[in-house]
Amino acid sequence: MKKSKICLILSALMITALLLTGCGGSGEEKKQAEGEKAATGGGTIKIGFLGAKTGGHAAYGVETLKGIKMAVEDINSAGGLLGKKIEIVEEDHGSKVSEGTTVTQKLITRDKVVAIIGDPTTGITKAAAPIAQQNKVVLLSAGAVGPGVVEIGDYIYRDVLLNSVGAPAVTKYLNEKLGWKKVVVVTSMNNDFSVGLTDLFKQALIENKMEIVGEQSIQDGDQNFAAQVTAIKDKKADGIIFTGYYTEGALFMKEVRKQGLKTVLVGGDGLMSDVFLKMGAEAVEGSMFFCGFAVDETKSTDKTKKFIEAYKAGNNGVQPDYFSVQGYDAVMLIADAIKAANSDEPEKFRVELAKTKNWEGVSGTITFDESREPIKSPVYLLEVKEGKLAVKDTIEVK
Amino acid sequence: MLSQQILNGITLGATYALIALGYTMVYGIIQLINFAHGEIYMVGAFVGVFMITVFQQGLVISLAAAMLACVIMGVTIERFAYRPLRRSTRLAPLISAIGLSIFLQTLMTKIKGPQPIPFPHVMEDALYKLGPIEISKVQIIILVVASLLMAGLHFIVKYVKIGKAMRAASEDYDTSALMGINVNRVISFTFAIGSSLAAAGGVLVGLYFNSVSPFMGVSAGLKAFCAAVLGGIGSIPGAMLGGLFIGVAETLGIAGGFDTYKDAIAFTLLIIVLLFRPTGLLGRPIQKKV
Repeated sequence: MKKSKICLILSALMITALLLTGCGGSGEEKKQAEGEKAATGGGTIKIGFLGAKTGGHAAYGVETLKGIKMAVEDINSAGGLLGKKIEIVEEDHGSKVSEGTTVTQKLITRDKVVAIIGDPTTGITKAAAPIAQQNKVVLLSAGAVGPGVVEIGDYIYRDVLLNSVGAPAVTKYLNEKLGWKKVVVVTSMNNDFSVGLTDLFKQALIENKMEIVGEQSIQDGDQNFAAQVTAIKDKKADGIIFTGYYTEGALFMKEVRKQGLKTVLVGGDGLMSDVFLKMGAEAVEGSMFFCGFAVDETKSTDKTKKFIEAYKAGNNGVQPDYFSVQGYDAVMLIADAIKAANSDEPEKFRVELAKTKNWEGVSGTITFDESREPIKSPVYLLEVKEGKLAVKDTIEVK
Repeated sequence: MLSQQILNGITLGATYALIALGYTMVYGIIQLINFAHGEIYMVGAFVGVFMITVFQQGLVISLAAAMLACVIMGVTIERFAYRPLRRSTRLAPLISAIGLSIFLQTLMTKIKGPQPIPFPHVMEDALYKLGPIEISKVQIIILVVASLLMAGLHFIVKYVKIGKAMRAASEDYDTSALMGINVNRVISFTFAIGSSLAAAGGVLVGLYFNSVSPFMGVSAGLKAFCAAVLGGIGSIPGAMLGGLFIGVAETLGIAGGFDTYKDAIAFTLLIIVLLFRPTGLLGRPIQKKV
């Protein structure tokens, strides 16, 4: 009896304690929220970064953020925008779709950003875009190349080379310049980007009267590709069209070489990463992929050259890749739209953003068509040569 | 083609079997499902990478070092995470195991980063033709090492004194303690053997798939656990058979175009087998002690 009474009193005490701390917490939170509101009025334009700093897609996010920061520095050191400084709010979703939506929500409701740059992948952009659209915040993806992104709403943009432009151009090139007739197509089934790119490649292959002699599916995160490679081994294909990302691409090619096959791989910019070169080593030699930008001394504009120099200076001489350039252009596009609208309200500057025509960026020329899709030229076809990326050709797009 | 895929499956299955043995031996003696076992396999793979890149050692020494490191780790884990909980409810050590598993994953992510890292180049691979099938040097190494380790385990359990003690403890824990067997020592030994096998599995898989990551233990651990239950948990030949069975089924499933359901294959098989044989393929029926 006595024991249970003591228990009762104890638990009652604990509950009161819990209630008390709960009250204190919420009070403090309120104060903090008010403080933040006051800060926003103090002359900054907040732009959110949505991307991965850790996890499977970290290579994309980290590079995009580098470009974004360079653009913000350029703008702020030139006196800012409409008399205000730009501030980047960084978040990390760890390459997880579920975290991506949480981060988007946080950027909008807690940090009150006017625009979000990201995500570099199609999958997470498609998950985040409806939230931005609902809250009337501009979302400009510096990397989402798959289908079904800007259709989500009129606040959603991207400044990339579309797969629907790149895949047909490259397929035509493979057929006409390299004489490929038979290919094997490999798709990563749990990756939106890969599934979308496979569809585009298949259409283009049919249009170019090329034959698909084998199809295999993999998953992001797979390490064992022995079964798939054995299945395509005796197909005598001219090449492998691989639509997934870099880690799986490199491991897949390792298995291809291990089983004694000499075929090379062609893919989209999902393969664009140092990891592809390092992990794939000699197995990815000769492999190709297309992307919207590469460092090519002969064709760069002055603007591009300036960016390349600045990037190299800040990164121990390493050359910028597609993602940092797209990140830089994304900030500049938004900044120009804000300038044109003379307002940092998303409702106003998104109209100016939609009017962008023949806009000269670091990565190339960008025009938004009537459905707000970017048309970008040229398409860069890269090749792995002696362990390094080299521009194999540039394909102009009409 | 089919025989080639079966060979791929057996190679994969051999690594599952190595991990499954650790689950089954520990369960056989203390009825604990050691959920941190997959992480021991992961740490083993990383130790292998470390030995090759930092100390420039060959495969044999790296493999031995990984096994030794994991023996120490396995015994330490048992001593500090499970032994204090031995007399509490069955759920407590299980939760402790899950906690440890998360801890080890996060620790490795902190040290090495979350990205998969390539397994260093340790030897030239070669391809041999054997009639209709081709077998690579790496596959031969995996099959030989796995068979040797399993044969060694069989020898220890069957003919060596400590092995007999293990069997006695798994038969009846309390009685064997009464008979003068130092049960704590037997349990430590079981963890040591199980962990060393998992470490060997980790290094071999790294060599085979060319990559290691802090999260590689999660799905491999789950599938090996599946293999252990499928073969009959507590049964050593059962774990070997279960591992091979799941490896081959998974590979044939992928080859048949069911890649999306790859991870489901192991579990579907498990459900089907358990429906017809609740004790697993080679498990003995449970006898109630009076």
